[in-house]
Amino acid sequence: MKVELKRKFPVSAPAEAAWAVLQDVVAVASCMPGAKITERVDDTHYKGTVGVKVGPASLSFRGEIEVKGIDAAARTLRLSARGTDTTGGSAASMDLTARIEPAGAHACTLVGESEVSMSGKAAAFGSRMMGPVADQVLNQFAANFAARLQATPAQNAQARAAPAPAPEAKPLNAFGLLWGALKAWLRALVAKA
Amino acid sequence: MAETAELKEREQKLQGMGTSLLRKEDARFIRGQGTYIDDIKMPGMLFGAIVRSPYAHARIKGIDKAKALACPGVVAVLTAADLKPVKLDWMPTVGGDVQAVLAGEKVHFQYQEVAMVLATDRAAAYDGAALVEVDYEELPAIVDPKKALLKDAPVLREDIVDKKDLTHGPRTHPNHIFTWEAGNKAAADAAFKGAEVTVREEILNPRVHPCPLETCGCVASFNKATGYLTLYVTTQIPHLFRTVLAMLSGIPESKIRVVGGDIGGGFGNKVPIYPGYVVATVASIVTGVPVKWIESRIDNISTTGFARDYHCVGELAADRDGRIKGLRFTALADHGAFNSHVSATKLPAGLFSICTGSYAIPNTYCRVDAVFTNKAPGGVAYRCSLRVTEAIYLIERMMDVLAQKVGVDKAEIRRRNFVKAEQFPYTTGFGWTLDSGNYHAALDKVLKAVDYEGLRREQAAKRADPKSPTLMGIGISTFTEIVGAGPTKVCDILGVGLFDSCEIRVHPTGGVIARLGTMTQGQGHSTTYAQIIATELGLPASDIVVEEGDTDKAPYGAGTWGSRSTPVSGAATAVAARKIKDKAKKIAAHLLEVAEGDLEWEIDRFKVKGNPSQFKTMKELCLVSHTGNLPAGMEQGLNAVAYYDPPNLTFPFGAYLCVLDIDKFTGEAKVRRFYALDDCGTRINPMIIDGQIHGGLTEAFAVAMGQQIPFDENGNHLGNSLMDYFLPTAVETPAWETDHTVTPCPHHPLGAKGVAESPHVGGIPCFSNAVIDAFSHLGVTHMDMPHSAYRVWQKCNALGLNKR
Repeated sequence: MKVELKRKFPVSAPAEAAWAVLQDVVAVASCMPGAKITERVDDTHYKGTVGVKVGPASLSFRGEIEVKGIDAAARTLRLSARGTDTTGGSAASMDLTARIEPAGAHACTLVGESEVSMSGKAAAFGSRMMGPVADQVLNQFAANFAARLQATPAQNAQARAAPAPAPEAKPLNAFGLLWGALKAWLRALVAKA
Repeated sequence: MAETAELKEREQKLQGMGTSLLRKEDARFIRGQGTYIDDIKMPGMLFGAIVRSPYAHARIKGIDKAKALACPGVVAVLTAADLKPVKLDWMPTVGGDVQAVLAGEKVHFQYQEVAMVLATDRAAAYDGAALVEVDYEELPAIVDPKKALLKDAPVLREDIVDKKDLTHGPRTHPNHIFTWEAGNKAAADAAFKGAEVTVREEILNPRVHPCPLETCGCVASFNKATGYLTLYVTTQIPHLFRTVLAMLSGIPESKIRVVGGDIGGGFGNKVPIYPGYVVATVASIVTGVPVKWIESRIDNISTTGFARDYHCVGELAADRDGRIKGLRFTALADHGAFNSHVSATKLPAGLFSICTGSYAIPNTYCRVDAVFTNKAPGGVAYRCSLRVTEAIYLIERMMDVLAQKVGVDKAEIRRRNFVKAEQFPYTTGFGWTLDSGNYHAALDKVLKAVDYEGLRREQAAKRADPKSPTLMGIGISTFTEIVGAGPTKVCDILGVGLFDSCEIRVHPTGGVIARLGTMTQGQGHSTTYAQIIATELGLPASDIVVEEGDTDKAPYGAGTWGSRSTPVSGAATAVAARKIKDKAKKIAAHLLEVAEGDLEWEIDRFKVKGNPSQFKTMKELCLVSHTGNLPAGMEQGLNAVAYYDPPNLTFPFGAYLCVLDIDKFTGEAKVRRFYALDDCGTRINPMIIDGQIHGGLTEAFAVAMGQQIPFDENGNHLGNSLMDYFLPTAVETPAWETDHTVTPCPHHPLGAKGVAESPHVGGIPCFSNAVIDAFSHLGVTHMDMPHSAYRVWQKCNALGLNKR
């Protein structure tokens, strides 16, 4: 089963600074809730894990990330990731295009387009909530991304200093996400009425 | 009068054929004392958990066992590489194909078996299975069978790509399994050319699963010292299972014991031989300790024994009055990733050619094309003797389609085409000889019971009223079943004929033990067979013990599926009992010092004709048969074995009628009335028959109204838990009204036919016909199952019926 997502998030930092962070795959991954880069194979290939907790069940996706292209002129990053849940019952893959669009001198927009496809138990059980859950994941990602930008002054990123220790990857908590999705749904209902 | 009362009392004591004796097995079951596979615990037993593929189609690039082996409690991890040296990574199927026991190079369907983790307990095994790391490269999957034979379709079975033939004729494409035809195509085509009326409809029997309460599983126990293998297993075919195991493993068949035990529902799901059984057996041989493997519900629904997935096209040619002149039925059969379709060797599409149903139809032709897809293998399960459900669904739906086209009432169109009572035995265009029937009488009895004309008047009034919030539908199904496989000249599996057997031993005090080649899964065999023997031998059913399923004890037989137990083993039971009775008669004649011809049988004794005070009861004869006071040269004992090769299958039939009301705004169909008349010939235990009919109708309701196994475009299973898969409970299930006529089977020793599948086969089209009938005045001729509220609502919505 497939879900296509297209989202825009305003970021209060200059486009150049945001672009600098976006090119750093390790940094980008650490913004993804529950995700962690475990090995850098070469410049464009990485190995990593994503943990998702749904109540008592923990899904731990282990897989590969490939940077398909970095277009500095368009400030666009394309990457694809695919992984298998180590419990064997599920698999997931994602194609992501992320772009920074300038929005004035001190602000920009993070534009993300992705296609996520799930197999196995994750597809059988998760399909109902996948859209809203993915939404929440992206919202958290954007918030983490913005927070990281605040913490990393643009010039430092430019200077490519030794990367700051990545924050401890916390497993993505689907209960929290479901609650978030529910709230979003309720808000949408109220907005309609 | 006193004499009649005395006879009656003696007869009642026997609780023989025709009485509604309470089921002997239930005393155990209602106390929770059944022994199912998962109840078996043996010292030192290991538990096996299967690692399954998350992909429908993928190449396996590597399997890393290290983390799993380090997991506490894990003893071993078996993969295809471990099975290869003993040539058990693949196994032959009864469909003429091979099936991966554990996937080595490729996985061909989602949840396919890739490895088995053996551990000291179940939790450790599952923990270990979660740590086996399999590296996959995903490949494009074929989900839609209509795309399987396209030129550029991905090739699924690389292992047999060079095989021109999978034992059922030439293959035309790497994803093609077989093409099977029956009838006379030229004659059928000619009938269509000259026909006054023709109808055509595409009709799907979606992929469903019988979902028995007990999932599949086994405990394999190999004794290294004796070389003796015992397998406790959920199987409907213990003896054939043993034969296949001997062929697979090379262990002499005399050193293999298969035990069926109690089985919590089979419905064909427990006929095939699954990889889990084979791996558990190998694991026990390797480790020398017993190994248990039990499916979870998800495993069961996603990997074992599905049913249907027949994409059919029905065509009828008729005259203006609706008298059928020709039939052309075709089906595209989705067999999944391996052809493990259980069928008699000569019948790759099972008994699909029963598709002329209850009707006298000249010029018939049918064809089935079977293909591989990236789905679980199987295809003949679910209370259906080998594709009969698909065949009868098609003809019963097409009768309605034809009725609508020619403007004839749906009951009347059936009457006009029925095989008439005086035409039996009647040989169909496809060569089946229908043994006996009285279709007109059955239908008329039902129509009268429900006041059919009154119902049609009510329906007409509702249709005329634009304010009516509901649509009323009346469904009729007048089916003929074909059960009791089967005559060995037509039916064999792996060369073994589908006869069946019964061995009866009578003890000195009149107790009896009977052992049979069949295998009960809830059908009440302990009761039904005991009643046959009670009547035949004049010994009380309460003292007759029936045993099945242990291959070391029971004589060889083909098991229980396709409603074959009463037609085949029931006949063997009567034949064996009659051998004993013949011997007892000789002893009685000897004791009474008369000729055998001077004796007559009366309920429980032989008495001298014209001298009723001179008699010997069966009970007395049981004891005498164990003494020396026997006719000269006669051996002691009252024992017999019979192997019964039926001369023909049996053809039970019925007339069903369903009335339902559909809410135009929610699409919910409420069954108002379901009247089921069944004719299964001689009725052995009316209560058990009623129970079987209730069960079959409930499963028919499930299939027609809600069950379906959906997949997404990548072959992901989207309905394999009871969260999604519809299993009706007492809440959803309608109340059933049952009725019967009795037209004995002319070739069965008791006149009996099979029954348990009739309500499923006849019930499904009855529900569909009722739902579609509700829309028929709006020009609707067909709607595919399942008729869930949402799907029916979509039809209401498309027709604008839900606008106020």
